[in-house]
Amino acid sequence: MNFSEFQNQSRLYVIGALEAEELEEFEKARDKFGKKGEDFITKCYALHEAFALSLRPAKASSAIKDRLMAMVRAKKQA
Amino acid sequence: MEPTKLIASTRRKPKKRVHLAKARARRVTVAPQLEPGAPSDLDLMLRIKAQDPDALSQLYDRYNGILKALILRVIHNEAEADDLLQEIFMEIWNQAKNFSAQKGKPLGWMVTLARRRAIDGLRKKQAYQRAEERLQNETEQQPDAWVHNATEEEILLSDTRSLIRKVIRGLPPAQQQAIDLAFFKGMSQREIAAKTNTPLGTVKTRLELGLKKIYDGLKELRDEL
Repeated sequence: MNFSEFQNQSRLYVIGALEAEELEEFEKARDKFGKKGEDFITKCYALHEAFALSLRPAKASSAIKDRLMAMVRAKKQA
Repeated sequence: MEPTKLIASTRRKPKKRVHLAKARARRVTVAPQLEPGAPSDLDLMLRIKAQDPDALSQLYDRYNGILKALILRVIHNEAEADDLLQEIFMEIWNQAKNFSAQKGKPLGWMVTLARRRAIDGLRKKQAYQRAEERLQNETEQQPDAWVHNATEEEILLSDTRSLIRKVIRGLPPAQQQAIDLAFFKGMSQREIAAKTNTPLGTVKTRLELGLKKIYDGLKELRDEL
């Protein structure tokens, strides 16, 4: 696998769309490309951020934050 | 749509070019703009690591809408989405020690975590079949449901969000659909092929072309990518 193919596979990898047999090949290439490959994969995770930002924000129930913060404070005190 | 047509359609995007040139001129970043003096996401994460509940409260206020939209997109159930949102922020609190700024930005980390939890939740609650039926209807009625989830008139979009949506909208519907099924439904290429009655190789091509175009579009929107 050359680096251009690795880049294509990385974009599929970060969204979990690689098939099992492709994943094996991808992991080998990942070892082969080392830091350069890891850096590219890290950049691909920006796709996650972009997909989330492309959606219209939804309003959460106001009780959720109260419940969350009560749980967090209780856990901190425990 | 045949792959050759997809390739052909990607070559005529003069409007997108003009649009992206404007975006570059405005120095748009993918992350939402913060108020002057507001702590950065990284500052908040560091404070959460140090067990500061107020930092979690601020992070919640900043991103609960985005994360809930993501969860809703996966599970289509308001009450379950609220519960999951609470669990996810609890996980952010518990797992903050594992966050590494070298591996990405806080929002990316939170979205990855939320997506994984939402897809797990979808499967665990055995609502998968019902969601599949809903998805089937959506797919048949709105092949480009991602883009038409709400009309632009209904939404006051920020510049950033608007630009990202336009990058995605620049894709042919078949590519949007393949990415939508993979990202928001956690489907494998084979599952997408079966769902859309499309050859596996075509699904792969659609995903690769679509993701590359989005990635390249984002790269033009932010210098650091």
